[in-house]
Formats: sequence, structure tokens, C-alpha cells
Amino acid sequence: MILITILLIAFGGAFVTYLAGKISGKLRNILAVLVSLALVVLISLIYRREISREYYTLPFLNLKLILMSNPLSWFFAIIIAGIGLLSILYSLEYMKDKERLDYYYFTLLFINASMLGTVISGDLLSFFIFWEIMSWSTYLLISYKGGKAIAAGLKYIIMSIIGSLAMLLVIISLYSRYGTMEISAIASYMQTASIGYTLFILITSSLSFVIINAFWPLHTWLPDAHAEAVSPFSSVLSAVLVRKGIYGLYLFMYVILGLNILNKLHVGFISFSSVLCGIGAVTIVFAAFTALVQEDSKRILAWSTVGQGGYMLLGIVFATASGMTGGMFHVLNHCIYIALLFFVAGAIEHRTGGIRNINELGGLIKRMPVTFIAALVGISGLIGIPLTNGFVSKWLIYKTLILGNHPFLAFAAFVGTWGTVLYGYKFIHNIFLGQLPEKYKHIKEAPLLMQLPMILLTVTVILFGVLPGIPLRVISAIQRQVALPPLQTTLFGIPKEAGELNMINVLFAILISCFIVWLLFRRAAKSVPVQQDDSYAAGSYVPKEKYHYTVNFYNPLSKMITPYLRDVASLFYLNIARGTQRVCNIIRRVYVGEVGYYAMYIVLFLAFLIFIQMFF
Amino acid sequence: MLSPVLLIAIPLGFSFLAPLLKKGAKYIPPIAMLFNLILSILLVPQVMRKPIIVLLGGGWPPPFCINLVASPLGILLALLISLVGFLVSIYAIAYIKEGATEKYHTLYLLLLTGATGIVLTGDIFNLFVFFEILCISSYALVAYNGDKHGLESAVKYLIQGSIGSSFILIGIALLYGLFGTLNMADIANNISYHSLQSPTLYVALAFFITGFGVEGAIFPLNAWLPDAHSSAPSTISAILSGIAIKTGVYAIARVTYTLFSAKGFMIFIATIGIITLLIGEMSALGQKKDIKRMLAYSSIGQIGLIIFAFGIATYYGIFGALFQLVNHALAKSLLFLASGYMIYRVGSKELSAFEGLGKKMPLSSLVFTIGAFSLIGLPPFAGFMSKISIISAGIKANNTALFVFVIIVLFATIIEGCYFFRVVQNLYFKKSRDPAHNCVRDGCPTTQKSEMPISALIPIIILALLIVAIGIYPRLVTGIIESAAIGLMDKVGYIHQILGIF
Amino acid sequence: MNFLSNNIYYIGCFGLIFIGLYIVLTKKNLIKVIIGINFIDTGVNLFLITIGYIRGGTAPIFSRPGLNPERMVDPIPQALVLTTIVIGVSVLALALSLAIRLYHHYGTLNLRKIRELKW
Repeated sequence: MILITILLIAFGGAFVTYLAGKISGKLRNILAVLVSLALVVLISLIYRREISREYYTLPFLNLKLILMSNPLSWFFAIIIAGIGLLSILYSLEYMKDKERLDYYYFTLLFINASMLGTVISGDLLSFFIFWEIMSWSTYLLISYKGGKAIAAGLKYIIMSIIGSLAMLLVIISLYSRYGTMEISAIASYMQTASIGYTLFILITSSLSFVIINAFWPLHTWLPDAHAEAVSPFSSVLSAVLVRKGIYGLYLFMYVILGLNILNKLHVGFISFSSVLCGIGAVTIVFAAFTALVQEDSKRILAWSTVGQGGYMLLGIVFATASGMTGGMFHVLNHCIYIALLFFVAGAIEHRTGGIRNINELGGLIKRMPVTFIAALVGISGLIGIPLTNGFVSKWLIYKTLILGNHPFLAFAAFVGTWGTVLYGYKFIHNIFLGQLPEKYKHIKEAPLLMQLPMILLTVTVILFGVLPGIPLRVISAIQRQVALPPLQTTLFGIPKEAGELNMINVLFAILISCFIVWLLFRRAAKSVPVQQDDSYAAGSYVPKEKYHYTVNFYNPLSKMITPYLRDVASLFYLNIARGTQRVCNIIRRVYVGEVGYYAMYIVLFLAFLIFIQMFF
Repeated sequence: MLSPVLLIAIPLGFSFLAPLLKKGAKYIPPIAMLFNLILSILLVPQVMRKPIIVLLGGGWPPPFCINLVASPLGILLALLISLVGFLVSIYAIAYIKEGATEKYHTLYLLLLTGATGIVLTGDIFNLFVFFEILCISSYALVAYNGDKHGLESAVKYLIQGSIGSSFILIGIALLYGLFGTLNMADIANNISYHSLQSPTLYVALAFFITGFGVEGAIFPLNAWLPDAHSSAPSTISAILSGIAIKTGVYAIARVTYTLFSAKGFMIFIATIGIITLLIGEMSALGQKKDIKRMLAYSSIGQIGLIIFAFGIATYYGIFGALFQLVNHALAKSLLFLASGYMIYRVGSKELSAFEGLGKKMPLSSLVFTIGAFSLIGLPPFAGFMSKISIISAGIKANNTALFVFVIIVLFATIIEGCYFFRVVQNLYFKKSRDPAHNCVRDGCPTTQKSEMPISALIPIIILALLIVAIGIYPRLVTGIIESAAIGLMDKVGYIHQILGIF
Repeated sequence: MNFLSNNIYYIGCFGLIFIGLYIVLTKKNLIKVIIGINFIDTGVNLFLITIGYIRGGTAPIFSRPGLNPERMVDPIPQALVLTTIVIGVSVLALALSLAIRLYHHYGTLNLRKIRELKW
């Protein structure tokens, strides 16, 4: 019952919020917050409860639709609800003077509701239905801003439709073969399916998940969509929605097929997993260095979303205890810090009047200290600096790669991290450090309502970094559910027998070294800040903008790598689209407009039919 | 006394009432169609138990008289016709203002008479006559606007349509020559009883499919459709797309399933359907200017999908086809009606003129979006349910060719998504470029809302609600569609019901 | 020769239909096309009559005793033809009236020039 209540509140709340908006804006905002708060509370209530319940029947397909909750769905559901709540809170201030707010809140709540639907559905048809609802409602919100966002939205929806139709093919084929769509029933049937059929199911279904999770070479929708969407929604997009792909892959690979079958799927040393690993590795490296050459704050984050997906994939394809845990934990961690970083980008956009080009910013540390700390913590998490959550999950993934003898993959992961360090530093430096441009001298700190979600997420990044045992416990429940070996964990990390990691020790070590560094700095000579205006320019006046030395960061490196970063995939799709368009234009020329031809078509068709029947 | 005869008699009688009432003529069609709607709803439970067979002309037992068969299939389609006819006629009260309006209403009711007659009759020549009633009134209605495009398309439609009806007549003559009967059940009985394999029979089938195919808009017989749909008044486009071509499809299904039960031929029907689907959808994607023409091409595509589903030739296929037929009738008439006033307001059929219309006509844009989503087959709208029924029927048939076709259907869905989302983004996300351009008639100030009149808004909102309702609660219609599909499959039952009642 | 004389009606009516189709397919004048359609109509009507006709048959009325029902001409096709003639006439009338209006708009009846609607 509680699952149906969740769905009803989620979807009904969206509609009620929309209608409330027609009465007053205040009421709408309150309702939106209340609905998402209620969802968080309700979902917390079903922690550790295994429910499976029919809620609807489709007599003409002889199908029962089922809702279920288990550790896997709870894990994703709480992420969705949590990020949903924070993004709504953030929107209250961020979206204040934008237009069509009823529409905005309605769609945002609706997307959250459909995402919840996908993770708590216990059969593939409801999974698909919610998935499709998620696709089109997301489109409606990506394009919301107009302008460039229109093209981004169209790109997204077309790719998403392609993906979901592939999934439709899979689920209908399963349905017509086994007469059911219940995930647990299909899982038991699939144990006896032939290898060819299993491969068909796996490859076709993963097409849609690879698209939504934006793995190379199907990543092309993501950078545009994430950069062009409004910031609170960008954080939902890249924190939660994109990770539906991981959820789906996990669902098909481990819940439906299971490890036994997966291990059988190989020819020589090429197996399904190794293909996925390759995709993951390419995604990591390619995305990290593409992010490096971006100048747009949200685009950097969007590319980082692409890249971090690769780490998760590398984690979950290795069904070892540490790999799976690392992959799943990275989903959670990435979701927390990328939401935080998009909030940061949004806050800066909000205060500077829509500036996203980081070369025009700088020195905002003095004006927006809270945002700076949030960004610093977020970027640290992204890079994986100890004491942030990203460290633990990346550590687990590296450990899996190295212990599993995958030197190339491990190398790719490291290279990706170097890229991450570089663009992370660029992000922080160009926005917060350096020279404060004249026009931003009087900029204010982000409003309190926007600070609140950022502070919450910042605290969470640190909390999960120091006490990784809290989320790891949930994740080991997921693994137990599909009979994978769970990783033993303690509150502070991983006990000795599973490969020691104790964050408390790390914490003390870092605190002590910080203290030493601080002492050293105290002893050393002080630096004196000098205004750049005073610098000597051979007697002539130099405009102040010229001093802004953050422009063309990493210029030599960018010059070196840019030729290798041409987005071939994107061009390829563009050409396909153009080609289709051209073919379509030719096709409709059959309607020539001259009635004699039309009459001829009729006569020829008749002759053709008679011919066919005579001879067949 | 509820009799299916009234379903035909009432629109026919009312149609000639319309010219008498000059001013009030526009209220005649809604009244007649409301009556039909109520009557057919009341007939549903009765028909679900046992088909009603009405004998006309002397009351001789079949096969010697013309009979009407109110089977679940017939009543389902009659219900659909009266529903769409009713809603469109309400819309027309405000929309049809210029020209000889009372003649419009007369012809409109005649068209619906023809359509209802086609789905109810059990006599093949009677089918032809009703077909001609439908065709002639639609030729005239397409030209109703009296502009050059309307006339041109009407003439082209007429030429193709009359070739088609001549072919139907030849087919009828061939069958009559073979069996000496016009009653469909009797012909079917003869064909299956003699298990005749004569070439004449094949030729007759070819003539029937070609003839009905012209009205049913299968490729390559559908060249009239984009012209006629795009230049007719929007109400007529809605009726043509929602009802007229459906009757053609019905006739093809009736001929192939009941008359000939040409099982081996069905894969060709499916192939034709797939080709129609592809050509229609691709042309729609290529048509970037004229929105009504785009919708017309999309109709061709959807008809292709329906015919494909009929061609699967299993119970599930027929079920999916009928379901899709209902959903397409609702969604496409919704789209034509919604675009009707939009075109009227912006004064242009060009797609680019629709930019930013979401703000000026919020409700119409919303219902347009719902209709478009339903046609693409996105849940939770009605089109999704029928599309998955068709796809699952295609895969269940366990046939490699059909599996390939299903993949083509999915591909066509992508194309459909492309062009419908193109319209949706024009409506909602693009800013209107030139404010002056956007409002040429009725002198509306550019920033204000200029929603369509309330009487035109009500029917399209009802259509949108129906689409959502069917999408969320498909049992609303699946019951009757199931028995209709069983009825169409069950040839022996049909023959027994009609020939064996006395 | 025997074949010809036995099937003369069929040959005649299909001849009419083919002539009509030929006109519709090739002629560019709208009036001619309409005439072609009428040819097809007439041919089909003749075909219907022919199907029911028995050479040397009697009228299907028992007007005098001793008439053999086997020799009676089938009346149904004749009834059908009456209907189709009416339909044909109405289509013809509609087509001609449309042609007149079309001529006002385009100033020509050449179907190759009346092709603004295409693609």
C-alpha cells in the first residue's frame, strides 16, 4: 500500500502543485516542497522492507503490473527523493523571477515521480511505462529555457526514444516468450534461455541504458542537455536521471540474468563485460579531457558527468565484492557532489546574471565564500581526495582494477583522474581565485535558500567521506539481494580482512599533516597581495580586463589534445540525421501532384496484386 | 425500440432537414449525432451478448434481402463514428462560418450516414452504395472552402476515388457472376464451402483491395490524401482522417477476413501496411512547411500501421489493429481540430508560424501535445497501449518477416517522434519571431491570449480526456474491441449468425 | 471467331473500361479525364448487365404460363445498374461543377498545370 501511496503522492502532488500555481505562487512553492518532503519521509519508511504488490491489471495483455521495494530500489529511490527535495528547495530562490513557474514545478515533480516509478516497479512493463514518461517529461524541462536548449532537447528526446524502443523490443520479446513481465519470474526463466537469445536481450536492452547513461559513443545528447537546462534541473539530470542507466544495467545484468549466465557470455577473451569495460575506459578518458578544454562552467560539469559514469561502469561490471560496492557507492557519491557542483554553477549564474563562461569570472572567493567552500568540497569529491566520499568509491574501484589484473583499465582510470584534477582545478581557479573583475565587485553571496541545499550536500560529502560505513551497509544489502558477495564494512571503512581502509585513521593523519603545514606557513614569510593595477606597463594605460590571467588556462595542453577530441560520434549522428532528412525529402516526391500518375499508381497496384495472387 | 436502422436513418433524415432551417442548420448535426451516440452506447450491452440482425426490404430471410448486422465490430465503429462526428460537429458550430453553411451540414451528415452504413451493412452492394455516399459527400466537402487548392484536391480526389469505386463494382460483379448472391455471409459461405481456387476469385480480391485501398489510403493509392486533408476545412480533415479512411480499412479487413479468409495472402497485406507506414512517416518528416500536410502524411503512416496489424492475422493482431484504429481516430481528429483554430489564428499553415503559440493558445497547444504524444505512442496516453498490443502481436506471431516488420515499426516510431516533437518545440519553446506575423485575423492584440471559442474548445478537450482516460484505464474500450476482434476472426460464426437464424 | 461471338459483351465492356482508363492516364484535359471516368462507369455498368444476361432469355416476369425460370434474365444486376447509373451521374455532375470552378481559379483545364498541391 505504501508504494501506491508514494506513487499517488508523487504524481498527484505534481498536478496539485500545478493547479495551486494558478491560485498563488506562494501556495505552489509550499506544496512543491511539501510533496517532495513527503516523498523523502515515505521512502525512508520503507527502508529494509521487501514489498511486492500488484496494483493494476491489463486484461488485454493478460498482465499484472507490480510495484516492489527491495534494497536496490530503495537505494535509488532515496537518492531520487533526496535530490528532488534539494533541487526544489534550490529552485525556490533560483527560479524566482523566471516565467512559467507552474509548468516548471509541475514538470520537475513529474519527472521525480516517474523516476521513482521506474525504480519501484516490479515488472518490466511498468518499468518501461515510467521510463517513457520520464523521457518525455525530461524533454519538456530540458527545452524549457528556449534558445539553444531547444536543439539540446530534441537531440535528447530522439536518442532517448531510440533507446526506449530498443528496450520495448526486449521486453515485448520476453513477454511473448514467457507470457509474463514480472522481473523475478523472468529472471528464473532466463536461467534456461539460449546464449544467443540472452545476448540479444542483453545487447538490445543495454543500448537504452548506454544512451541514458551517456557512455561513449552515445553520449552526445548529454553535454548539450545538461548545460542548457536550468541549473536545479541540471543537477537532477546528472545526479539522478543519468544514473538510471546504471540501474537498468544492474537490473538486466545481475537481477535478471545473474552472474552465472554473464560468465558464460564470452568468445575467447571478448565477453560482454569486457566490451562494457572498454566503453567505460574510453568514456572516462575522452570525457575527462574534453571537459578540460571547455570554457562553460556547466559544460565542464556535464562532461564530468559523462566521465564519472565510466568509473561506475568499471565498478559494476566486475562482479567482485569491492568492484560492485565501489560502482554503486560511486553512483551515490557522484550524485551528491555533482548536484552540489551544479548548484554552485547555478548560484554563480544567478548572481552574475547568467554568466557561465568561466573566463569572464574570477576572484569570487571573497564575495561568495560559502559557495566557494561548497565548490571546493565538491571538486575534492569529484577528484577523490581523501576525506571526501569520492575517495572511498574510487579507492574501491582502483583496487578492483589492480587486483583483478586489468592494467589498461586501471591506467585509463588514472588518466581520467588526472584529467579530473586538471579541470577541477580550472573550475575552482577560474571562478573563485585570481582577479575579481570590476563588474563583480559588489556581487552578493548566494541567497540563503540556495545556500541551504549546498551546505547540506557539502556536509554529506564530508560525512560519507569520513564515515563510509553508513551508505556501504545499504549497498551490501543490494549485493546480498542478487547473491553477489557483499563487502564487509565497518562504520569507518573496510575491515582488515577485506583490504583495510579506515577513514578515521586517514582523518587523523590528514589533520596532523594539516597542522604541520599550517605551522610551516606560520613560520614562513607572508605574501603581500598586490593590486594588479599597479603593475608597470611602460607608461601606457592597460585596460584591466587584459590582466585577467585566467583566460586560456592550460593553453599548451589544450592545443595539444584538442585535435584528438573531435567528437566523431556527434558528427556521425548529425550526418545520419541529415541523410535521413534528405531521403525523406526524396521519398515524398512520389506524390508528384499530377493526377495521371496517381491513376497510373492505382492501375499498376491492381496489376501487381493480380500478378502476385496468380503466382503465389 | 432500439434498432440499428436508426443509426443510419437518423443522420440521413436530419441531413435533409438542414437546408430547410437556414439559420439553425448548424445545430442539426450535433443533435443527430448525439442521438446516434446515445443509441449506439445503449446498443453496446445488447450487441455484446448477441449480434442484432435487421432485415430490410421485404423481410425475406437472408440471403435474399439487404440486412444490417449490428455486430460488436459494427457497433464499435458506429460508436466511434458517432462520437467523432458529434464532437467535430460541435466544433463546426463556431468554425464553419463562411459559405453555404447549411449545405455543409447536409453533406456532413450524409458523409456520416455513409460511414455508419458501411460498418453496419451485411450486403456487399449496399456497402458499395454507402461507400459512394461517403465518397461523393467528401469530394464536395473537400472543396467546401472554394479556394483553388480545395478545388484542385477535390478534383484529384474525385478522379482517383471514382476509379477506385469502379474497381469495387467490378469486384462485386465478378463475385455476383460466380455465386449469384450479394449477401456477404452467403458469399463467404460459398467461397469456403466450395473452397474455390478459381482465378476469378483472386482477380475479384485484387479489385476489392485496390478499390477499397483508394479510400483506405494504402500506398500507392493514397495520393489524394495529403492534398485533400491539407486543403479541406479542418473539421473535414478531422472527419476524413478519423472516419473516412477508417471505413476503407474496415472494408479491406471485412473483405479479406470474412469474404475471402485469404490466410496466405495476409503477409502481403502486412507488407503493404509496412510500406505505407514507412512512406507515410518519412514523407511527414520531409514535410517541414505545411502542418496539415504533415498530419496527413502521418495519417498515412498510421493507416499503414493498422493495416500491418490486420496483416498479422492473429487475434492479437486484429485486436491491436482495432485498438490502434480507435486511438488514431481520436488522436488525429484531435490534432486536426486543434490545428484548425491555430491556423485560423496565425493565418498560415506554416509550421514556423506556430512558434510561441503555447502562450497565446495554451489549452489548444496542450491538447495538441497530448494528441501528438498519443500518436507517437508515449505512455500514459492511449496510443501507447495500442502500439504495444501491435508490437507484441507481431512478435508473438513468431515469424521472421513479421519480426523484421516490427523493427521497422519501431523505426517509424522514431521518425514519428522527430516530427511531432518538432511541432511541440515550436509551440512551447520557441519565441514567436514576429509579433505582427502571429495575428492577422480578429485583430487580437499580440500579447493577449487568443484561445479558440469555448464551443470549439469543449470537443477537443473531451477528445484529449478520452485519450488520457483510455491510456490510463484501457479497459474502457478493450472489452468491446476484444469481442469485435473475435467477431472478425470468427468467419463461421458470422455466416451462421446471418444465414442460420431462420 | 466463336470465342469472339460468345464473349462479345465482355470484350465490349472491358474495352470500354480500358479506353476509359487510357483516357484518364494519358489525357491532360480535365474534361477529357471526366469523360474517361464516365467511360469506365459505363463499361462497368455494361459488365454488370452482361453477367445477369442470358442470350435469348425472357423477362423475369411470369407474364404467361409455361415460362421456363431457367431462361429468365437475372433482374438483380439491372436493379444494381440503375443505382450505379444514378451514382455515376451524380459524380459526373459534381466533377463538372468542380471543373467549372477550377477553371475560374486557374484559367486552364490542363491537369499538368493544375498541380500546386504536391509533395
